Amino acid sequence: MTDIQQTVYVVEDDEAVRDSLELLLKSDDKPVQTYESASAFLKDYSDQMAGCIVLDIRMPGMDGMELQKKLNEKHSILPIIFVTGHGDVPMAVDAMKEGAVDFIQKPYREEALLEKIEAALEQDREQRKSLDEKQEIIRRVKSLTPREREIMDRMIAGQANKVIAIELEISQRTVEIHRSRVMHKMGTHSLAHLVRMVLSVKDLID
Amino acid sequence: MTDVVTENPEVTVLLVDDNPQNLKVLYETLKDKGYRLLIANEGEKALDLAHRHHPEVILLDIMMPEMDGYEVCERLKADPDTADSAVVFLSALDDLQAKVKGFSLGGADYIAKPFESQEVIARVKTHARVIRLEREMQSRNRELQGDQTRILNSISEGIYGLDENGIIEFANPAAATIVGCPAEELIGKSFFELHFASGDEAPETLPVMATCQQGVVESQRDIQMLRVDGTTFPAEYRATPKLLDDEELHGAVVVFRDISAELESEQALEDARTLVQEQRDQLAHTSRLTTMGEMAAGFAHEVNQPLTAITNYARVSKRMMAKEQPDLDLLRQTLDKIEAQSHRASEIIRRIRKFMKKPATGKEVVSVPTLLEDTRQFAEVDMRNNAGGIEVQLEEGLPDVLADPIQVQQVALNLIRNALESTRAAESDAPVEVSARRCGQHCVRIQVRDHGVGVSEQAEEMLFHPFHTTKDDGMGIGLATCRSLIQAQGGDIAFERPEDGGACFYFTLPVAGVEGEPCTPDEA
Repeated sequence: MTDIQQTVYVVEDDEAVRDSLELLLKSDDKPVQTYESASAFLKDYSDQMAGCIVLDIRMPGMDGMELQKKLNEKHSILPIIFVTGHGDVPMAVDAMKEGAVDFIQKPYREEALLEKIEAALEQDREQRKSLDEKQEIIRRVKSLTPREREIMDRMIAGQANKVIAIELEISQRTVEIHRSRVMHKMGTHSLAHLVRMVLSVKDLID
Repeated sequence: MTDVVTENPEVTVLLVDDNPQNLKVLYETLKDKGYRLLIANEGEKALDLAHRHHPEVILLDIMMPEMDGYEVCERLKADPDTADSAVVFLSALDDLQAKVKGFSLGGADYIAKPFESQEVIARVKTHARVIRLEREMQSRNRELQGDQTRILNSISEGIYGLDENGIIEFANPAAATIVGCPAEELIGKSFFELHFASGDEAPETLPVMATCQQGVVESQRDIQMLRVDGTTFPAEYRATPKLLDDEELHGAVVVFRDISAELESEQALEDARTLVQEQRDQLAHTSRLTTMGEMAAGFAHEVNQPLTAITNYARVSKRMMAKEQPDLDLLRQTLDKIEAQSHRASEIIRRIRKFMKKPATGKEVVSVPTLLEDTRQFAEVDMRNNAGGIEVQLEEGLPDVLADPIQVQQVALNLIRNALESTRAAESDAPVEVSARRCGQHCVRIQVRDHGVGVSEQAEEMLFHPFHTTKDDGMGIGLATCRSLIQAQGGDIAFERPEDGGACFYFTLPVAGVEGEPCTPDEA
């Protein structure tokens, strides 16, 4: 299992809050990167980033909500935990609708924040893992020859070797060879597994 | 009233002689000359006619039986009704003694017998004219005196004429009314003894004394004067020296009045002012509470920042201490940070409490940069929603102002918040510009300029009117309160329309320690 480095990205305009949060997370052995504004983070952003964002909802200049929208446009999958103040709950609800994982109200208890961060990192890990798996499946699918691909599609559609052989006007033996190549290249021995793998990336390969 | 010559040219001439022949000659001489001629052949009859007809000229023979001309003249002069007639003696006695006696008894002229008719006509004409003019003059004098008396009587201020020792020579009816004593009983009394308690002070320091003795003009307000019955009243007076033609001091004229009612209304006015001031302070306080209410969420955020930081630092510290070999330096640094953040939180709370304090603290010498910086930090609570923020620009060497810092901060905060709101509404990221500069000798001008939605011309007229608002949720109190607060500091507040849009509000405050009126916005 490839264990990629996860970082907690703290976007917070208040220096003291930023500094204290950085210390706190570091003392919990979490890699931390801090940003004093939404635009600073946006400038630094890349889709290689893994972890989660702890984002202050109210900031001068670009606020947390705007940053969330910009990141959505970039198809970021980084989970966002919004940090809100008193009276910002309606804003937080909007943020959740836009896909934020959670929000926490200032001043917060450390345990609550760390729990939420843990959960966000877990979610990121899973998303990333499934994303990695899909990438692998896609890579494997792309390694098939056109013929193999055609035969795989028919296998998934549930056609028997005999039917495939007749429709493609090739020998059943040839179908069997292609079939064994497909199973080998896709790294599986079970047709059921193959079906599930290919269906999970169906949108991405067609 | 005596007739005026021009209006009634008829002049009466009385001819007195015991000799019918003489009378006839005189009559012939003067008839058809436009005179009314009266004739008497003896003294008693002459006196009677003179008394009844007030002749201008009396031609009077000296040598008469029973009552001679001298006696007639004497009695004419003794009678006020006839005293002003011109007596022209007629006599053959052409000697100096007789003439001198005649003049000494009040005679006006002397004609020697036998007389020339031309001379008689000329002399009568001259004397008639003199007497008519004299009578006219006296009549005018009486009118004038009447006027003066009426003026003195009708004036509501008391007027005393004093001699150089302060003895009352004249008192008008108002003086009598004010001091509670008939005017005639005041005459002859000492002004000082009557109206000031003896022994209280050295006599030379008594009011009016300097005027009586040294001829200086003096005036005072709110002194205590005694009425005749011994009660006192507050008075205002003005004393001017009475100088006659010889430029010598002849006492003083004192104009005075009872100012009890005036003082009462002044007190009532003062009370009303105090009440207005109290209500203004009350309103200002209410308006500060309202502002704080509007900003509550912002303040909660503002206080939560250091509290959040403190909580985080505290956790970090605990973890550090749980280690086998705690990094004491790092721990100390973290604790220092906790301390700094708790100061930060208490500073925010201090600022809020100070702003909410009631009543306002009163005027003091205030540093404009400190005040504006404080206000800016305050307004930052709202500024979180503005991209542009607030820029403060201060002229070098700004003098301190004399003002109530809380109320000025309230006004500045109000203007800045309006500016931020207007900027937000215009979705502009231009900063709100706050600036201060000296303006003339007497004042400092503080200006808040924004690039927001601006003020419509229609709204501009009503800007500082109470209960007028352009905001959906506004009460229309803000700017009206601002104006009343700034005016209470001796400054003023106004609006300017910037050419390139937005709005500009400014107010003036008096420079501390500089005498004189602060400038008005128009001069600014």
